[in-house]
Amino acid sequence: MTAAAARPRVDARAKVTGAARYGTDRTPEGLAYAAMAVATVGKGRVVEIDTAAAAAVAGVRLVLTRFEASELKPPVYIMAGGHAVQSLQPLLSDHIAYRGQPIALVVADTPVAATEAANRVCARYEAAPFALELDDEDAEKLRQPEALPVPALADIAVGDAEAVFAGSEVRVDEVYDHPKQAATPMELLGCVVEWRGDTVVVHEGTQNAGALRNGLALQLGIDPADVEVISPYLGGGFGQKNSLQPHLGPVALAARRLGRPVKFVMTRPQTFHQGSFRPASRHRVRLGADGNGRLTAAIYEVDQETSRHDLFPAMYTEAMSRLYGVPNFSGPTRLVRVDTQTPGYMRAPFESPASFAFESAVDELAYAVGRDPVALRLANDTGTDPITGQPFSSRHVAECLRRGAERFGWAARDPAPGSMRADDGSLIGWGVAIGAYPACVAPAIAHVRAGADGRVVVAVDGHEMGQGIRSAITFLVADDLGIAVDRVTVDIGDTRVAPQHLTAGSWGTASALPAVHAALRELRARLGVAETGMLDVGAAVAAAGQPTVEAEAATLGPGQPPEMLDRSRAGKVAFTGPVYPGFTSFSFVAHFVEVRIEATTRRVRVPRVVSVVDCGRVASAVTAASQVRGGVVWGLGAALREASEPERRYGGFFNATMEEYVISVNADIGEIEVDFIDEPDPLLNPVGVKGLGEVALVGVVPAVTNAVFHATGQRLRRVPITIADLL
Amino acid sequence: MRAFAYAAPATVAEAVDALVALGPGAKFLAGGTNLYDLMRLEVETPPAVVDIHRLAGFEAIDTAGATELIFGAGARMSDVADDPVVRAEYPALSESLRLAASQQLRNMATVGGNLLQRTRCGYFRGGSQYPCNKREPGSGCAARGGIDSGHAVLGVSDACIATYPGDWAVALLAFDATIDVAGPHGERSVAVAELHLEPGDTPQREHTLAADELILRIRVPVSRAGAGSTYLKIRPRESYAFALASAAAGLSLDPGGTVSDCRIALGGVATRPWRCTAAEQSLLGGRLTTDAARRAGEIAFADARPGRHNAFKIELGIRTVAEALRIAAERAAR
Amino acid sequence: MGGATIVPAVETSFTVNGQTVHMALDPRESLLDVLRERLGLTGTKKGCDQGQCGACTVHLDGRRIVACLMPAVQANGRAVATIEGVASPDGVLHPLQEAFIEHDALQCGYCTPGQVMSGLACIAEGHVGSDAEIREYMSGNLCRCGAYAGIVAAVRQAGRSGI
Repeated sequence: MTAAAARPRVDARAKVTGAARYGTDRTPEGLAYAAMAVATVGKGRVVEIDTAAAAAVAGVRLVLTRFEASELKPPVYIMAGGHAVQSLQPLLSDHIAYRGQPIALVVADTPVAATEAANRVCARYEAAPFALELDDEDAEKLRQPEALPVPALADIAVGDAEAVFAGSEVRVDEVYDHPKQAATPMELLGCVVEWRGDTVVVHEGTQNAGALRNGLALQLGIDPADVEVISPYLGGGFGQKNSLQPHLGPVALAARRLGRPVKFVMTRPQTFHQGSFRPASRHRVRLGADGNGRLTAAIYEVDQETSRHDLFPAMYTEAMSRLYGVPNFSGPTRLVRVDTQTPGYMRAPFESPASFAFESAVDELAYAVGRDPVALRLANDTGTDPITGQPFSSRHVAECLRRGAERFGWAARDPAPGSMRADDGSLIGWGVAIGAYPACVAPAIAHVRAGADGRVVVAVDGHEMGQGIRSAITFLVADDLGIAVDRVTVDIGDTRVAPQHLTAGSWGTASALPAVHAALRELRARLGVAETGMLDVGAAVAAAGQPTVEAEAATLGPGQPPEMLDRSRAGKVAFTGPVYPGFTSFSFVAHFVEVRIEATTRRVRVPRVVSVVDCGRVASAVTAASQVRGGVVWGLGAALREASEPERRYGGFFNATMEEYVISVNADIGEIEVDFIDEPDPLLNPVGVKGLGEVALVGVVPAVTNAVFHATGQRLRRVPITIADLL
Repeated sequence: MRAFAYAAPATVAEAVDALVALGPGAKFLAGGTNLYDLMRLEVETPPAVVDIHRLAGFEAIDTAGATELIFGAGARMSDVADDPVVRAEYPALSESLRLAASQQLRNMATVGGNLLQRTRCGYFRGGSQYPCNKREPGSGCAARGGIDSGHAVLGVSDACIATYPGDWAVALLAFDATIDVAGPHGERSVAVAELHLEPGDTPQREHTLAADELILRIRVPVSRAGAGSTYLKIRPRESYAFALASAAAGLSLDPGGTVSDCRIALGGVATRPWRCTAAEQSLLGGRLTTDAARRAGEIAFADARPGRHNAFKIELGIRTVAEALRIAAERAAR
Repeated sequence: MGGATIVPAVETSFTVNGQTVHMALDPRESLLDVLRERLGLTGTKKGCDQGQCGACTVHLDGRRIVACLMPAVQANGRAVATIEGVASPDGVLHPLQEAFIEHDALQCGYCTPGQVMSGLACIAEGHVGSDAEIREYMSGNLCRCGAYAGIVAAVRQAGRSGI
């Protein structure tokens, strides 16, 4: 029997039957359909907009091109202390900041009428020059510490990296380029909005129902109590659905004006121009080492794109400075303003591109000193956070490497590039890389209700986007109380039952579980039963003489002040970490990859990957393994296929379809073997969990590119690697 | 999408009549995977469509004949791909279908409609936001000087560099297939070699059929080179993607190993299905060595005109031809 | 503004999961939108609306197709099957659905109905001879969460049990 058969994902049945209801699966009575017309210049101003033809389309009810600031206030960018994916609210002025920016919202009785009408909106523009890429003339470069002068974003600097690097026996100095990438969750961005009296009910797949509630309330000038956001399932988020989207305010106003519920489903091409994306980044990595490859200094400079209207903070150096015990480290970081929608947090937003650069450089160092790449990494391991001097709360990188090497059969590797061949003549390459991701925590409020019928209902912060948080919480409750899984109901992603802090940064499960754990302690106290051990819930509740007994607990990250709970309740980001009082917490991983490259046509295939993860205690074995495999699939796509291509003459993203933005299909994926250290973290929380969803991806890209080097001798410092690079 | 009138006749004759009756611009709609898609993008805006996806007898497949294989134009791509005779005796034909799209799309799309599949050029499909001579004659070509990594290197013109995206027509071309078409003035036959047009100055004209002509069937002459054939398709991922470069290759070998018949056609690199007659000639009468196969590839691409980002298609195409010939020779020697 | 549709509606009837439906359709309407918006069968998902992801896979006369690229009028006289009709009416799951659960062949679940419909067809077509064949014939269904390994295991298991 599989592990999943023994303890399946709790919402699997709903998902395999089609019963799970996603945001735009709602079809309330009287529903109208919205569609958007978008700007077709790279930047500029709408001079004139003609909506007569759109309005004349049969079935059209509204064509909206401009809202007054009195009815729709611009939102505040999430990373500037607000709720929104960007500060720019379309339809408030004639300014066009980027191609694909909405210029009109059309509402009609049917989807075909709405779509046709949106196509009939005709605009004339005054075009302005724009920048789309790091090197473009008009791209404005800013030193991040000056642009965003807050301690958390100061350039990391310990020791004297420049001087030590200059005096190092062995030096690596290379530049690596990472492209823009699109998150492309399968579920399109969109919502169903319905007014019930003064209350607006929002169904939208989101990782941050709290931000939608509070942000929309601020935009519309209404009480957050009058906004309900319901998001029990997301069809994938990957960071793109982490906050208030620009469509929600206009759709809500249209619904109010019409007195009908309105559904908006963004087209797939529009998601590329309106959803947040991974910005391009350039990485110069300088490594200094002794003759054995022991690292003495690292200077890691990064340029990352941001939009013209927001500053998306770049945090590439945070994890890379902790990969190894490098005593001298500096990480100068710059932001580069380009004319797109604001880029954002796409799965392992900084850590995956950073690992491509840094772990490629480490591989280059291994070859420079003639040392096995695994041995070199082991030799540079550390138990101490080199930046703060604190211990890591837990760190099992060495065990990840050793176990992975064993499972992979690394000992049989001939280190010489191009030395290994398959029977069919294909070149074989074996590559390794490690990854790290900060173990952060957010405040969480858990409410537990036990019934005399023996059932337990839990309401807590958290959003189910496939990572398995609903399952992890359910299993925690079932195991803690010794009751069956089907006696537990978990309500998440719903502002009606609990405040909903952003679920992202791999902190979701690590934040929700401690709160639920604490609420269960409180429940046991109220029931007057032992703090641990099996519990006959029904009998205990009955003995208390009530139909139900409720308990609530709020938890904070280590060292977090209580006012962070208020911040969370206001729908704002309130996480802490990875540096806590007395310790530093990261999750870690080691990936081993085999590539096979055809001798003639040079197709690259990845028949097998071994990944070993240190994420603290594994909260849900089945969903955890799936998450890691998913991270590996992402990494293979990033290494070999995925790049959003800016159209420099017309603006916007050229390959804005699922056909042209190439993600991996089933046939691309071979064997992915996953193993966990499964050692509880002793300090971060009582449950012993660290984050998992993102660290799984960190290091996959360089493990692939290092394997390509091993197969071919070609060191490619730009991803994705394509056939064109290998001919 | 623009509104359109819809008719669903039952027979070929009724379909031809219906198209005329519905007036200029009316189109036949078969599987819908290309036309309906382009209508949704408003790249195609026919005022009316005649649904031919269930015409009587339109789906028949006859692979038992002594002289030719016959595929009704309405046969689904998946059905022809899985036909046992096609699989065993004409692997290039079967593979060209099996490596196209996904099984869902192959269950919808017809082998007749697929011949006239329109380009995937993003500037064409992107609609009025981009100039495109194919879509809007005289408006210019955004692909030239733009993101052209997917574009053609053979058969290009100043007006258009859009790649012909199909696979099936490439394999049919290699095997000298013919189509039968019906129109208001009766039936006629057209060689697949005469069906598609290079863009020249009129990239909006992609084929030689009249607007009111309907493809009835595809006929493929029986050929020994069928068994010694392959369709090799190189894509940016393992499946469900259009070709970066593809080659249909078919060989017959004498008992001594000398090449007696040779067919090579290319996809993914040209503005139309591309037959490589000179490359074929170079192999006739000799043995298929690695060098000879490579040289045939080089001949095939001798006239290639790369753009900014697609020069890799020349070397990739040469290698694809050579590798396809190697596989074909292995099969031919069995 | 607004008013009745100017396109002549086309009277269309077909069955969905065995139930006959009659409706007057704008020929522009996709089968996907009709299933989701008119019939409330929202198990079939919209992931691209361009035939490029497979999330809207349903069966038409027993064969898998993508519902986004088919005008619903083309379903006239035909039988459509969706994810809602796969489990038995009393809630007993199909063995392939069970296998998806057993192999955790899903994460966010959004592509899952399409994967199940595609998997059922893959088995019925006989394209389960090897893992490589399953991978190829399941490649028309994108899964951004990357649950591919579990999907292959589930289709293999259900396919070998001969359903």
